[in-house]
Amino acid sequence: MIGRKLAKYGAVFTTQLQSAAAYPLDLAARSLSIVLFMVVFFGLWRATFAAQGATSIAGLSLRDTLWYLMLAETIVLSRPRMAQQIAAQVRDGSIAYLLNKPYSFLLYQAAFSLGDSALRMLFNGLAGGAVVWLLVGPPPAIWGLPLVLVAMALGWMIDFCVAALLGLTAFFSEEVTAFEWIYNKLLFLLGGLLIPLDFFPEWLQRVAKALPFAAAIYGPARLFVSPSISAFAGLLAIQVGWICGLGLLVALAYRQGTAHLSINGG
Amino acid sequence: MSAISVRNLSKRFVTRQKAPGLAGSLRALVRPETREVEAVRGISFEMEPGELLGFIGPNGAGKSTTIKILTGILHPSGGEASVLGHVPWRERRALAYKIGTVFGQRPQLWYHLPALDTFYLFGKIYELDDALVRARVRLLAEAFEIEDLLATPVRKLSLGQRMRCEVAASLLHQPRLLLLDEPSIGLDVVAKQRIRDTIRRMSEQEGVGVLLTSHDAGDIEALCRRVIIVNHGQIVYQDKVSALKRAHLTTKLVEVRYAEALPDDFAVPGAELLKAGRYGAKLRFDTRTTPAEALVARLAAMGGLVDITITDPSLEEVIRAIYEAQAPVEVAA
Repeated sequence: MIGRKLAKYGAVFTTQLQSAAAYPLDLAARSLSIVLFMVVFFGLWRATFAAQGATSIAGLSLRDTLWYLMLAETIVLSRPRMAQQIAAQVRDGSIAYLLNKPYSFLLYQAAFSLGDSALRMLFNGLAGGAVVWLLVGPPPAIWGLPLVLVAMALGWMIDFCVAALLGLTAFFSEEVTAFEWIYNKLLFLLGGLLIPLDFFPEWLQRVAKALPFAAAIYGPARLFVSPSISAFAGLLAIQVGWICGLGLLVALAYRQGTAHLSINGG
Repeated sequence: MSAISVRNLSKRFVTRQKAPGLAGSLRALVRPETREVEAVRGISFEMEPGELLGFIGPNGAGKSTTIKILTGILHPSGGEASVLGHVPWRERRALAYKIGTVFGQRPQLWYHLPALDTFYLFGKIYELDDALVRARVRLLAEAFEIEDLLATPVRKLSLGQRMRCEVAASLLHQPRLLLLDEPSIGLDVVAKQRIRDTIRRMSEQEGVGVLLTSHDAGDIEALCRRVIIVNHGQIVYQDKVSALKRAHLTTKLVEVRYAEALPDDFAVPGAELLKAGRYGAKLRFDTRTTPAEALVARLAAMGGLVDITITDPSLEEVIRAIYEAQAPVEVAA
């Protein structure tokens, strides 16, 4: 019985995976952007390391930094695009179909978004990994990869919860662009996408690392370049904490939202 | 037990108002003005299991809002409703297993994939056995004549083909009630007829009740025994389609043809001349003032009557007359 309940979300995931794979050329072309980013980052950071006359800054070598940025970019470029998606569904009325099927709307959205993210993550990871390998050599450590994948999955869930919260605000306001813009900037700065958080002053690092932005991006990317069981355990605790807290908020927002929903069209 | 029972259902929306232009936008930013719109105002009706019920009204009459409340998507502002024994907005998921829906303006099939993929996905979503899904797909594909379309990506189907697939998909899980919101919108005459015929046949074969909203009277005439007419969020008429015609079809159209040419001053007392040709004419009369018998006698008395046809005006015209009789109601501010 529970198997059947879960199978429906699995089916949503694989169906969206097929749908996303309908245009393989488009997928491949999109992953060109990560190649471009990595080439630019390589030039930028090589110059920075040369100017400092150092082989490592805040414990990270040029190779570590590039591999770190590659994973951070892969995570960001493959994020769930749910906020805009839900807002568009509320605006054009297609949300009516998503709400009248026998499933949890939020789990449906999660399965759908995962199907949407998975292929992009694969293509971005392969393209980004290949170019960084060519530029600075192999990744510093491979053994931590299984841990990194777990951390990436949990980070994805944090991002999903925030995206769902943003998307659900569309039930009240229809327009989510402004909130999403703010979230993107926070991810960029405090998530460690612009530069690794290790380059921040000590106090800011401590604050940033406890926030969900870093738990979604910096945490998994940093674990990739210097894996350790203790770092993984610390990250896991923060991630699970945020997932529980944000998950609760999403469930509450959904309950409030459905009572407020008004659908355009018809 | 009724399939649908609705009492005093109402739904109010608050919409933001903005005067046109930049000045209006700025004013709305400082002091947003809202307006309350009553989309549904105290609607009550019953629907029997297996019934084909038409829900008809002009754009913005509250048809779709009512359907969305009955599927549990929208919460009403007041009133009660029970659909197949469930309060829709409280038991949305339990109800979802028993109903099928088609919103004509919105696709539910996955756009980039063949319709068959959506059918199999729905099979999982409704927790059906794979063997049952395969059998249902075969049966529905034959009934809706979509066997050759199921493997084509939905984006490559014509609107008529897509709608046949949409309605077929909504019947996959053998729902007891089908809620169709404008299923024939945008379709040409042939495609409309085809989809209406199949819906009627499936309803008879599977005993599924159909609640159909449309602003096309042809849908109702072809499919439904009973009709509810809504306007400005209220029910203005509910009865059998035949009774609607009887009650409001006191006006008849007569076409006559004579063996000899008609005189230039051709006229028939009690009837209004709509069109006159060399041998024939089209007239309109009201049975309340001129009984058919009297009119036919007058037409025959002129001699040489070869052919006579008396017809009702279309349901479309009848419904237009009902709308026009309803003065627009002021919307609460």
